Amino acid sequence: MLDLFTYDFMQRSLLAAAMVGGLCSVIGVFVVLRGLAFVGAGTSHAAFAGVALGYLIGWPPLFLAIVFGLATVWTTGWVEEKGRMKLDVSIGILYTTTMALAILFIGLMKNYNAEVYGYLFGSVLSVTEEELFVIGGLSVLVLGLILLFSKELYFIAFDQEMAEASGVPARRMFFLLLTLVALTVVVSLKTVGAILVFAMILIPASTAYQLTHSLKTLTLYSMAIGVATAVGGVIISAVCDLPSGPAIVLLATALFFCAVFLSPKRMNRSSPAHSH
Amino acid sequence: MSIARQEPIIRFERASFGFPGVIALQDISLTIHAGEFVGVIGPNGSGKTTLCRAVLGLMAPLEGHLHIFDCACEELRCHHRAKIGYLPQKGVVDRNFPVTVLETVMMGRYGALGLFRRPGIKDREIAMDALAHVAMDGHKDTALGHLSGGQQQRVFIARALAQQPKVLLLDEPTTGLDMTTQHNVIELVQHLHEELNLTILLITHDINMIRSRVDRLVLLKTKLYAAAPPAEVLKPEILREVYGKDLVITEKDLVIVEDYHHHH
Repeated sequence: MLDLFTYDFMQRSLLAAAMVGGLCSVIGVFVVLRGLAFVGAGTSHAAFAGVALGYLIGWPPLFLAIVFGLATVWTTGWVEEKGRMKLDVSIGILYTTTMALAILFIGLMKNYNAEVYGYLFGSVLSVTEEELFVIGGLSVLVLGLILLFSKELYFIAFDQEMAEASGVPARRMFFLLLTLVALTVVVSLKTVGAILVFAMILIPASTAYQLTHSLKTLTLYSMAIGVATAVGGVIISAVCDLPSGPAIVLLATALFFCAVFLSPKRMNRSSPAHSH
Repeated sequence: MSIARQEPIIRFERASFGFPGVIALQDISLTIHAGEFVGVIGPNGSGKTTLCRAVLGLMAPLEGHLHIFDCACEELRCHHRAKIGYLPQKGVVDRNFPVTVLETVMMGRYGALGLFRRPGIKDREIAMDALAHVAMDGHKDTALGHLSGGQQQRVFIARALAQQPKVLLLDEPTTGLDMTTQHNVIELVQHLHEELNLTILLITHDINMIRSRVDRLVLLKTKLYAAAPPAEVLKPEILREVYGKDLVITEKDLVIVEDYHHHH
């Protein structure tokens, strides 16, 4: 089994999985706390429509994935800010519209294109060196911005209006968060696919949520869980000859249910602080 | 205290607020001076929360002017906002949000710090000092969700204090609390007003709880009906005009609903 790790493709896959797992799980903390779970799902499908259009017209698929992803999150954020429609309704409309566009673009292609389906279901074992550089570069950018603005992002996840009232530029930070969600989705498309990237964002943060009451610890736990399940999933996939995306997500889901049952929050729920 | 001698810090000049077609507050002229304890009262939908959002700089006037710390509201920038400590209505925040008491209070430093600067030892000391003021320093590592409603209000007051504000703006701080806790929260606010010389703007429905503590009562119902010491505002004819004919004042100066008065 150890022979596997000597292959270049396996080393690339593990590195890509670790980066994507870490990135998704950190942005996932803010997505879960700010209640943007559905935005993650909608964005991944919008980004896939961009990929499909890229293959149809011969443009770089990742560039159009970013354009579609950003257009979706910014429209969603704008609609919520204006209070015209609830966030889940607007993202639901964009989600299905972009998915319809993706199906339309695939239907317009003259020939069957396996690479497009690679972005839908993920194929971490086929990540190339160039793609690894793109994933690495975007991961550094997104994690760097999160680190730079972490205190503001935590505050808007807690209470955006309170943050605004305290002098934090909350509106700009909310749009930054949406932008980072879109970039994370695009970075992860090739590795876990448009359908499963949403799970990579949501599950590690939700698992960590069961285990701690501290924001900083939550972020560290989420990152550790994200990296461990992504790397573990790739190894299981290679050893057992299973598709990599489902292996990663099902491993993360198993860990989530373990955390739910063993959660210290469940055990402490009957013992609130006493005094005053 | 002699209010007139104090520096004016919040000035509404014939200001109206709302959205095009919907006026929440109309033609308000009001000056709040440094060091005042002001209670804001009025029936539901009278514009109390709009007044709160205006003072926070979240809403510019449709007409007229609003000056806060000699700065026009339209230009209210981050460093001015940090001078106003804000306690939002209870229920706005998720009780199960994974945050400790100290992490919550540290958020009060973020606006004053500005972008790119990380909180340091000094900020932590300010946060701990704020927790000591509300007698919650012993709970710094406790999860916010594990605290009672009254304790959570104390933590949010500490978060506002960590901004080192000049004004403390409290939006219905006693709603949803039992009677003893309500009393404790108001006592704490009065204590902070006296000890830190904070200007207090307290929005409430509980006239009886605050009437003996405030310098002035501001009575709203879309328009400003009164802004004067409690004895001048709590008159049957004024209350009847704002709340309707059911509100009366008893021999012991309690403001109650007329039906209750008749039955007891």
